[in-house]
Amino acid sequence: MSTENNQQSTNPAGVLYRRCTVDLETGSVQLAGVPCANLEDVLGGFGRSFQILAARDITRAYSPENPLIVNTGLLTGSNVMTGMRSYFSAYSPLKKSGAGLPAAMWSAGSGNFGNKLKWTGVDEVIFENRSEGPVYAVFRDGADGPVVELKPADHLLGLTGHEKIMTLSREYADAHFAVIGPAGENYGSNYMGAVILSTDNQLKSGEPKSRFAGRGGMGSLMGYKNLIAIVAQSPDKLDRITPAMRDVNRDIIKSLGSARFQPVSQGGGGGTWANIEVLQAFHAVPLNNFRPKGNDDVERLYRDNVEKDFEVVSEGCFRCGIRCHNNLFHRNPDGSRGKLAAKFDFEPLILFGSNLGIHDATKVTQLIHLCDLMGMDAISLGTTISYLLDYNERHPDRRLLNGATFGDFDLIRELVEQTGRGKHELLGQGVRRLSEQVGETSYAMHVKGLELPAYLPDTNPGYIFAIAGGHMSMGTHMLYAKEGKKTVDEWVQAITTGGLLQVGYDMIGLCKFVGVGIGHDLIVNGIREATGLEFSSAEIVASVRRAYLRGLALELRQGFAEEEYTLPSQVLADPNPNVALPSFIDEAFLEELRRRVWSVFLPEMEGLVPERKN
Amino acid sequence: MQVTVKLYALFRWRLFREAVREYPPGAAVSDVARDLEITETEIGIVLVNGLHADLGHILQEGDLVSLMPRIGGG
Repeated sequence: MSTENNQQSTNPAGVLYRRCTVDLETGSVQLAGVPCANLEDVLGGFGRSFQILAARDITRAYSPENPLIVNTGLLTGSNVMTGMRSYFSAYSPLKKSGAGLPAAMWSAGSGNFGNKLKWTGVDEVIFENRSEGPVYAVFRDGADGPVVELKPADHLLGLTGHEKIMTLSREYADAHFAVIGPAGENYGSNYMGAVILSTDNQLKSGEPKSRFAGRGGMGSLMGYKNLIAIVAQSPDKLDRITPAMRDVNRDIIKSLGSARFQPVSQGGGGGTWANIEVLQAFHAVPLNNFRPKGNDDVERLYRDNVEKDFEVVSEGCFRCGIRCHNNLFHRNPDGSRGKLAAKFDFEPLILFGSNLGIHDATKVTQLIHLCDLMGMDAISLGTTISYLLDYNERHPDRRLLNGATFGDFDLIRELVEQTGRGKHELLGQGVRRLSEQVGETSYAMHVKGLELPAYLPDTNPGYIFAIAGGHMSMGTHMLYAKEGKKTVDEWVQAITTGGLLQVGYDMIGLCKFVGVGIGHDLIVNGIREATGLEFSSAEIVASVRRAYLRGLALELRQGFAEEEYTLPSQVLADPNPNVALPSFIDEAFLEELRRRVWSVFLPEMEGLVPERKN
Repeated sequence: MQVTVKLYALFRWRLFREAVREYPPGAAVSDVARDLEITETEIGIVLVNGLHADLGHILQEGDLVSLMPRIGGG
C-alpha cells in the first residue's frame, strides 16, 4: 500500500494498493497500482475482494471466469501483533444457493505467507482462468519491484500439504508458502479443500505446524485452476518498533479479550480448548452429530485429562504474544517430549471427537492430523462425516460407504483418508449435497450450504445471517451460553450491531483473538502507527458494516431464497431435551427474527452490489 | 449461610470442582469471587441455581453458584 506523495492520509482515494493479475492460461502477468475506491478497499481482505467478485457474473465455481483472489489486510506484515493474515476469496465450490449458483466466499489464515506476499510488494493477486498443467506461482521481491513466475508443479502432485511446503522450502530460502493438499488436487470430488499456509515454526522444526484457510473450498478452487502452490519470497521487512507501537502491542496482550486465549501458565484461559468445559456445563457440546445426550463422555477431552497422556505446549504464530496454540506432543518412554501429535483447538477437537462419538484424545489427534495433511476444512469434513454416521446409525439395513457409525474410529479414519484422496465424493461434496442426495435433510448441520462449526444451532439463530462461516462471520455463537439471551429483541440487536462486526478482522489483517471490538481505539491506533493513515472508529465500523452487507447482498444476488435463511429443521421440530439451556428457537421465532433483521439490513443494502447481467 | 460453589476450567484447575462454603447473609456473587481470589474481570459467566446472573446477585441459603471463565472462539 502507498499514499500519494507518501503523505498521511484520511482519504481512501489517496491510498493505492498494488494488484497483480496472473492469467494462468496464458502465463501473462500484469502489475498495477490501484487507487482505493472506499475504506473497504483500504482495509483490504474480503472488504476489497468482494467488490471484485460483485462485479462478475459467475454461475459455476469451477469455471475459468471465477477468479481466485489472494490478498492481505492493511495491517498484514506490520508490527501490530497478529498482523499476518492472508485471505483467499472466490465463488465457492462448496457453498451454493438453492438456485444452484455459487456463493461468494472468503477464507482467512495466519502463518507467514501473508507477510511475505506483502513484502514482495504485492497487496493482491487475482488468478484468472486455469492452467493447462499443474503449476506453482512464485512472487519475489526484485530490485525493480515484484517479480512473478509460473513454474511446473508436477513434482508436488500427490504430496501432503506439509510435504509440499517442506519440498518448496528446500528450493526457496526466505520464503513462505500457500499450498493445497491431496484434497485440493482432487477438486472434482472434493469441494472442501483448504489452503495450507506455512509457518516459521514449521519450517524451522520440520513439524507439520501449518495454518489453514479452510472454509468454502478455496483449496479446491486452486486445484481446479491447476495452481498447486504459491511461493512468496522476500526478506522480512518489519519497520522499527516505535514506542507507540509497543503500547499498541502491550494493550493487545493486556486486553481481557486476548487473555482468554493466552497460555494457562501465564494466567490465560488456555485457548479455545476451555470452551468445552464451559459449554459442557450446559450440555451444549456437540456430540453424535450435534445431539448432546446429557452425559459426561466429553469430559475425557478436558485439558487436565488429556495432559495425563500428552505434553501440551503453548506456542504462537510469528511474533505473536497471545500464543493460543495448544500443541500436543507424545511423551517418550523416558518422559521427554516426543513427536507432535496435533494442535488442539475447540473446533477440530470436537468435530473429530465427541461429535463423531470419539472421546479418546489419542484417536482425535490422529483424525485432526490426517485431515490437516490431506488439506481439508476440518469443520466441513467433520460435520459431513457426523451426518453420515448419523444416517448409518438410523439405517442399519442400508448403510452408506464403509458403514461407519459413531465411535468407529478405524472406519472413520478410512473415511478421512479416502475423502482427502478424492475417493468419496459423497463426503467431499459437503453435507448439503449429501443429505439432499439421500433424501434426509433435517439433521444435516449446515446453513446455506456451509457446514456448521462446533457450536449447537439450538443456541445460535445468528447462524442464519453469517455470510462466510457460522462463527467466523457472525459473532453470536456463544451468546446464549454467555448471557442467556433468548428474546427476538435481543437477537435482532446482537445480529444487526455487534455480531456482524466479527468480519472486520477478515479485512484488516489481524487475528480475531486480539479480542477487542473492531472499532476499539487499539485498532485505530494500530492503523495510525503502522501506516500513517488516520481513520476514526466510526469510519472503520461503518466500512466493516458495508462490507458485511455487501456480502449479504451478494448472497441474495446469487439466488439464496428466504427459506434458506433457517436452521437445520431438526432444531425446530425436535428440540433436544438434554441441552440444559431452555429451548427458544421455533419457526415463529425465526420468522420474526428474519422479518426484523431484514427490515434493518435491506434498506442499507441498496446499491451495494450491481444487478446480475444474465 | 451455606452456598455450593462450582468452578469450571481455569478456576477448577486452580481451586476445586465443587465445594460448600459459608457466607454471611446478604452476600453477593462478587463476595464469593473475592473469597476465592478470582478477579471479576476473569469471570465470563455466572449462574445461580442454573440461571444466568450478575456479580451483584444476592445469594440465599442453599444457592448453587457456578463461576466460569471468559471464553471465546472464531
